[in-house]
Amino acid sequence: MQGLGIPEAAENNAKQQMFAGMETALPLLPPVHLDAFEGPLDILLHLIRKQKMDIFDIPMAIITSQYLSIIDSNKDLDVDVAGEYLVMASTLMQLKSRMLLPRQEVDEEGNEIDPRDALIAQLIAYEHYRMLAEELDEFPRMQRDVFKRAIFPESEDVERPLPEADLDALLAAFGQVLKRMESEVLYRVVLESMTVREQIQFVTESLQHGSMPFHELLRGQQSREALVTTFLAILELWRQHVIQVIQTQHNASITLLLSISNQQSEVQA
Amino acid sequence: MLIKNIEALILASDEPLSFDKLRTLLEPVESSDVRDALNTLEHHYAERGIQLKQVAGGWQFRTAPACANIVEQLWQTRPSRLSRAMLETLAIIAYQQPTTRAEIEVLRGIKVSSSIIGGLLERGWVKVLGRKDVPGRPHLYGTNKQFLADFGLKSLQDLPDSSQLMDATQQEKLELPEPNQITEYTHHEQEA
Repeated sequence: MQGLGIPEAAENNAKQQMFAGMETALPLLPPVHLDAFEGPLDILLHLIRKQKMDIFDIPMAIITSQYLSIIDSNKDLDVDVAGEYLVMASTLMQLKSRMLLPRQEVDEEGNEIDPRDALIAQLIAYEHYRMLAEELDEFPRMQRDVFKRAIFPESEDVERPLPEADLDALLAAFGQVLKRMESEVLYRVVLESMTVREQIQFVTESLQHGSMPFHELLRGQQSREALVTTFLAILELWRQHVIQVIQTQHNASITLLLSISNQQSEVQA
Repeated sequence: MLIKNIEALILASDEPLSFDKLRTLLEPVESSDVRDALNTLEHHYAERGIQLKQVAGGWQFRTAPACANIVEQLWQTRPSRLSRAMLETLAIIAYQQPTTRAEIEVLRGIKVSSSIIGGLLERGWVKVLGRKDVPGRPHLYGTNKQFLADFGLKSLQDLPDSSQLMDATQQEKLELPEPNQITEYTHHEQEA
């Protein structure tokens, strides 16, 4: 477990405690790699189901040592992930020792408490969602099992209705522009004197000659700050119904254009 | 003629076409006639390479799952598989919504990475519904309309009954944290 940064002495000590009394024959399990699992609960369920144990009467001593040996054989554990596995290790050891108490623990009404109850509930709830996830995966999925008709070729003569995009779609498109921007070399502009008002002017002027794709409108913006300011301008214009935000299809590109009433008034002005 | 019109409208629409939209477009028409026509069409296509399906609150033509392998060859790319982590997280969000990342982590017993949530958001299956009024004001996640459309579900009620997956004795013995009732609020959100 050196990989986890646990001091040598403490580790040895812990190991002795972990394996105290474990010399008795343990069912040998084929070695497993943690990558195959989705966390400590997944490992425990694997051990329990594989060995056909009763989940309501988990043999804590056996499970604990098997769990520890799996963790132990995966020394190269990522520190980020290790935490949860170690917490479970300590939970198991604590449960194991509580099971050894000569006197049963009782609640206020005098009923026996099984220290394992919380863990069992957690395991069953997780197993439940694991099954639901498998079921979900078997549903005929769009683009994997079923396909829908691709869009008809656009025709100049056909006037298609313009479906309004929603805010989610616009935000998603903005996220993509920002992401693309990150991969480009940026020049730091020290003083950015750009205001939303100016960008409103910029956007309306850009749209004077007709509609424009969202990402193209943002393409000319050099800095992140400029992008955000322009985006705020677009949101403001949309709110005031000066422009229309059009998305013909989910995940399709977004087009901006001046609202019809506005186009006329601009022309007059 | 009604059947022909309905068939044409559904084919020409880019999105699943809702019953209300259909009825408005076909005005004047009786709702029951539209319903009958849809039934007839659904049966007519049941055994064909194209099927008429009710998804995400609307009607849509899609290819039959049995034809997936051949249709796939139209394109070069194969669809990417979903990781177990992503599927489990999606399942928990679908049944527990609105839910926070911390609540998902409790159920999975392990950290839910930002890339998992990000992947689900990017696919449009999940969206932020708001923030939970607890310290830290974490995001509340729920499923999106795209989730219903991509998994071929009529509505959230169409998800497999979560209680059927466990046998009766298991349920008797334990008081499980029951998946939240899917609230009116989130349902409306889906329909909108």
